[in-house]
Amino acid sequence: MLSTDLRNNVLVVRVAEKRIDAGKAPAFKDEMARCIDAGQSQIVLDLSSVEFMDSSGLGALVSCLKRLGPRGSLAVAGAGGAVGRLFALTRMDRVFALHPDVETAVERLSV
Amino acid sequence: MVSSISLAIDSDLDKVSLIARAVRALCQDLMEAEDLDAVELSLVEAINNVIKHGYQGKSGKDVQVAVGLQSDRVVIDVIDHAPPMAPQVLEQNSDSLFAFDEADLSSIPEGGMGLALIRMNMDEVEYLSSDTENRLRMVKRIASPTS
Repeated sequence: MLSTDLRNNVLVVRVAEKRIDAGKAPAFKDEMARCIDAGQSQIVLDLSSVEFMDSSGLGALVSCLKRLGPRGSLAVAGAGGAVGRLFALTRMDRVFALHPDVETAVERLSV
Repeated sequence: MVSSISLAIDSDLDKVSLIARAVRALCQDLMEAEDLDAVELSLVEAINNVIKHGYQGKSGKDVQVAVGLQSDRVVIDVIDHAPPMAPQVLEQNSDSLFAFDEADLSSIPEGGMGLALIRMNMDEVEYLSSDTENRLRMVKRIASPTS
């Protein structure tokens, strides 16, 4: 479900699914938890392939943020359409730094 | 134009996307992308709630979805045979849910957002419970009726 790539000490996690819904959220959360527990604290989540996310998917992202704690950063890249709108509707756009693409997100996190 | 169709899935979270995609396709010619997103999200949240809370995550139970396509609105009923939702759940104020303090990690919700999202995305939401079934009716008005 996830593929990872380290750039400038920032872990870029790409979600290779079109949907993060209640069926997929538990596996997503587990895979993210493994990345966080491995010691990564600066993470960019690339959602550019994700076309649909429900509140279970969003809840899983919040859970990752809490696991990361105040020492880390979890930025989101490429959240468009329905996914971007979900962040705005739930006011989670104040919680997660949203960036148009991975390059911008990595640049912001690595300064 | 009035037409209707009924769809059904087993109470399995992995099957919800089948109905979501089917209903989105049914509404495709009637709405703009933003409204299609609103309908799809509301439907998914409603079915997730039935499976997670109504049927307590058990598979093998039935979830039915009836879609009515009218010239000025789409009416979607999610029907289940689980114990009904408590009235106080329906009356919860959804504004307070998203009025969290983003600087306080513990105050950010991880769940319980489904009904609030349905209310925000649909024009009318009604819950009808009888001895035989529960029915969550969600209505989305069509911005520019075609006929």
